[in-house]
Amino acid sequence: MTDLAQRAETRVKLFNRICFGVLIAFALLWLVPLAWALDTALKPNAETTRTTWAIADPTLDAFSRVLRDTDIITWFGSSLFISTLTAVGTVLVASLAAYALSRMRFRYRNVVFWLVLAGIMIPGQVLIVPWFREFDALGLLNTWWAVSLPQIPTAIAVFIFKQFFDGLPRELEEVARMDGAGYLRIYRKIIMPLARPAVAAVAIFTFVTSWNDLLWPLLVLSNPDIMTVPVGLATVQGAFGIRYADTMASAILGAIPLVAVFLLFQRHIVEGIAGSGLKG
Amino acid sequence: MTLTRRALLSGTAAAAALGLTGCSGVTPGRDTSGSLDYWNLFGGGDGVRMTQMLDAFRTANPRVTLSAVTLAWGNPYYTKLALATLGDKPPDVAISHLTRMKTLVSSDLLEELRPADLARHGISADLFTERAWQAGLVDGKAYAIPLDTHPFVMFYNTDICEKAGLLDSSGALTPLDTPEKFTEAMRKAKEASGAYGGVVTINNDTSTPWRIFQSLYSQLGGEVLADQGRRVVLDEARASQVLTFLQSLTKSGLFPAATDYQGSIATFANGQAGFYFQGEWEISTFQTAKMPFSMTLFPNVFGGDKYAVQADSHTLVIPRRPDQSQAGLDRSLLLVRSMLDQSKTWAEGGHVPAWLPFRDSAEYQAMTPQSNYSAAADAAVYDPEGWYSGSGSNFEIVMGSAVATVLGGQQSPADAIAQMRGQLQNLSTTASPI
Amino acid sequence: MTTETVVRPRPATEDGAPPEQRPGTGLPALGFLAPFLILYLAFIIGPTIYGLVMSFFDTSLVKPGLSGFAGFGNYAEALQSSDFWSSLWHTVWFTVLTTPPLIVLAFVFALLADRASRGRWFFRLAFFAPFILPSAVVALIWIFIYTPGLGLIETALLKIGITSPNWLGDPNWAMPSLAMTTIWWTLGFNFVLYLAGLQEIPRDLYEASAMDGASPWQQIRKITIPMLGRTTTLVAVLQVIASLKVFDQMYIMTSGGPNFATRSILEYVYDEGFTNFRVGYAAAVSMLFFVVVLLVSAVWFTIVRRQEKGV
Repeated sequence: MTDLAQRAETRVKLFNRICFGVLIAFALLWLVPLAWALDTALKPNAETTRTTWAIADPTLDAFSRVLRDTDIITWFGSSLFISTLTAVGTVLVASLAAYALSRMRFRYRNVVFWLVLAGIMIPGQVLIVPWFREFDALGLLNTWWAVSLPQIPTAIAVFIFKQFFDGLPRELEEVARMDGAGYLRIYRKIIMPLARPAVAAVAIFTFVTSWNDLLWPLLVLSNPDIMTVPVGLATVQGAFGIRYADTMASAILGAIPLVAVFLLFQRHIVEGIAGSGLKG
Repeated sequence: MTLTRRALLSGTAAAAALGLTGCSGVTPGRDTSGSLDYWNLFGGGDGVRMTQMLDAFRTANPRVTLSAVTLAWGNPYYTKLALATLGDKPPDVAISHLTRMKTLVSSDLLEELRPADLARHGISADLFTERAWQAGLVDGKAYAIPLDTHPFVMFYNTDICEKAGLLDSSGALTPLDTPEKFTEAMRKAKEASGAYGGVVTINNDTSTPWRIFQSLYSQLGGEVLADQGRRVVLDEARASQVLTFLQSLTKSGLFPAATDYQGSIATFANGQAGFYFQGEWEISTFQTAKMPFSMTLFPNVFGGDKYAVQADSHTLVIPRRPDQSQAGLDRSLLLVRSMLDQSKTWAEGGHVPAWLPFRDSAEYQAMTPQSNYSAAADAAVYDPEGWYSGSGSNFEIVMGSAVATVLGGQQSPADAIAQMRGQLQNLSTTASPI
Repeated sequence: MTTETVVRPRPATEDGAPPEQRPGTGLPALGFLAPFLILYLAFIIGPTIYGLVMSFFDTSLVKPGLSGFAGFGNYAEALQSSDFWSSLWHTVWFTVLTTPPLIVLAFVFALLADRASRGRWFFRLAFFAPFILPSAVVALIWIFIYTPGLGLIETALLKIGITSPNWLGDPNWAMPSLAMTTIWWTLGFNFVLYLAGLQEIPRDLYEASAMDGASPWQQIRKITIPMLGRTTTLVAVLQVIASLKVFDQMYIMTSGGPNFATRSILEYVYDEGFTNFRVGYAAAVSMLFFVVVLLVSAVWFTIVRRQEKGV
């Protein structure tokens, strides 16, 4: 009996060790493209036509050239503004609506609820054609508003907040109400502070999704001086020609802000995904 | 690549700057300071030359803040240009192919260039290649200033052609002006090269098969579309004659039956073919390869005494904007004029200049092999009119892919013509969106 | 979701509020809902209806108004167009190439990482970091990796004696190449979902089966896979829907080429609507695509229903 258990244990240990080795190998493999991009960006352009990891003459020239010759700093500004506006806007309007749906009783509540539910089914991508005409009519093409506004009313965010609010205990609100607090005060002073995890998840996700969005911003942002990072990188690539170090440096610069966000909020992001299964 | 760039820079910057001096005095007393956005689609050698030309403009006009953007070539470029103009934030000046420009005009996206405005900058119709200027008019009005004509041409390996006995005593290529002479020359070149007589791109490229077909087909006087693309007038007898001829070249092994754009360049650059058929812009590639080659007109195989060849032109256009001012327009035209004045730099990339003051100059006549094929500009056949036609358009894709199947031996000429007709019928009956 | 709980007999109070609620909450509710609803109607519901209407007209991008009525003409044209079907097929082909590896690899990696006692943060970093990169960054890096003549993969394969195809240039290889890039890019998302799913499986289940002498392999088959059924359904559906919406990779890396071999349905909408200016037709194609997405979602709901009943 003990012998059997012991043998099983050794077997499990060996198995775990093999698993670990295999996993390490794959994880390293997964890092190769990023490492290769960084390696190339540190070479002078002339060295990039030799496919080798060794760098004879490492330099940061490619980075300074990209920063000097492209509008990438402007693109960062655009992306930052649009993503922040979208994230803040989404959190605000979705949490307000979710609070009403979670805590208030009113006529047509079901109608509103099902209307919002239907919205989850509509992918933004099928709306690009009417959106374009709409923003043309509004005279808002080529503005940050055109990128941000349609992304703010996100049905899934309302559901995440509603689900979270439904799970919050109501005792605190009852006490506040006894003291004569109105809905808005309760929402601001009690509900939102308690809902911080949901706020973090929705805000970070909206920010990242908005930052990475390509199709719609590509259509509305035609001018290099207001483009977002992905649109700029996708559109103005021709300017680099075959200067691979510059191209890789621009890719790495384009990646840095989100990698920073990821490192700062790693736990929130991972828990957010695991909790909600939210995906753009 | 860096080598060529450096060589080009040192070689032409001085000349370009010289060319500009003529233009700096064009708008006396007018304040030209301000910003100027310019969009183009040039990569490779064209991109390097365009950058030089823009730098020369900056040096000559320090008060104009010029910001130039190079966007990805082809459909994405025209999409971006149209969307930016619809969004009321277009560039001040943009490059457009002549065959794509008309769609932009009918969509009301371009500013008309009035003779009076042009005259202030010393630009008028009589200073351009007539064919390029005329082809760019819409209802008799000008909307685009042609910078060049870029015809389909014939590159030939001088060593192989000499070995094959195809050069006369002065070193000029013997005329290939009948199907028999053409085929015979390819046969001799094949013997001399030991691999192929000639090469033309077939795979993964619909433009090149279309260009060679259109060149031969229009030598026979054939037309494909009429009534602004609303009617298909493909002539079966002529198309069949051209396709049968093209298929005979690959079937007999004189041309490779499967090769893509890069592959066809390599075949010619490595001396495995005596002739190569493509737009003149590939001149830089073979100069860089330091191979013995020259260029001349695409042969007049079917034309008899009338010559025709497929071509397009790069033009400069001024997109429509609600806040267009006289000063802004003049600033834009200043750049246009500067580009024309630097036609020499541009011609080094193979393009035939549309600007007659340079094209008629002794300097251009002395440029070889560029001046060998300059006559092509006068016989240029542009893609037919139609909202779905033009460089890189659906029309070229339909025609080119059918021609490619004939060259590759996958389809008979008759089947390919049926395929063309069917797909063109679909396009021509689709309600025009403009 | 708690949708059933709100369906209850309407009380007799004037504003329809349930008895336990204070009356008069109708107006504040409207205030709370208004910002969302206004934006929602303006940018989701309104455009959906507008798009549907437009799909029955020959609307042009460069002409004001809806232009001529086309009836079902746009739909008929799309359903008869080989370009429509081939772009739909490319989209499906991309989905087929990416979904199984993205599920299986993510599952295997999560399983391995779950057994690892150390360094979980490292695996999460390695697999998840690519997922948060913008598509344009991913595309630039992979275009370089696939470059003929000096690409990393070609050089590496050459060292072990394998000649690479022209990854992005060959019509037959372009789509698998895009799929490979996409797997690298998005695997981390599924990896994290699986990792979370694995942590919810009670440990004593494994301990009990180990006592019975079950091998690790048997444990995976008998415990892990069945327990992760719902996660797998979720991963699969999110994956299929995300794959159907593919656009970025094609647009940047191949422009839908070579010879349209990688043009996805969304790129077809983009081409027809914004390059050819035919927004009416593009709206009709969008609606057809919408129907496909709805069908996939409907299949998912059916499966989830069945799973919930089964548990």
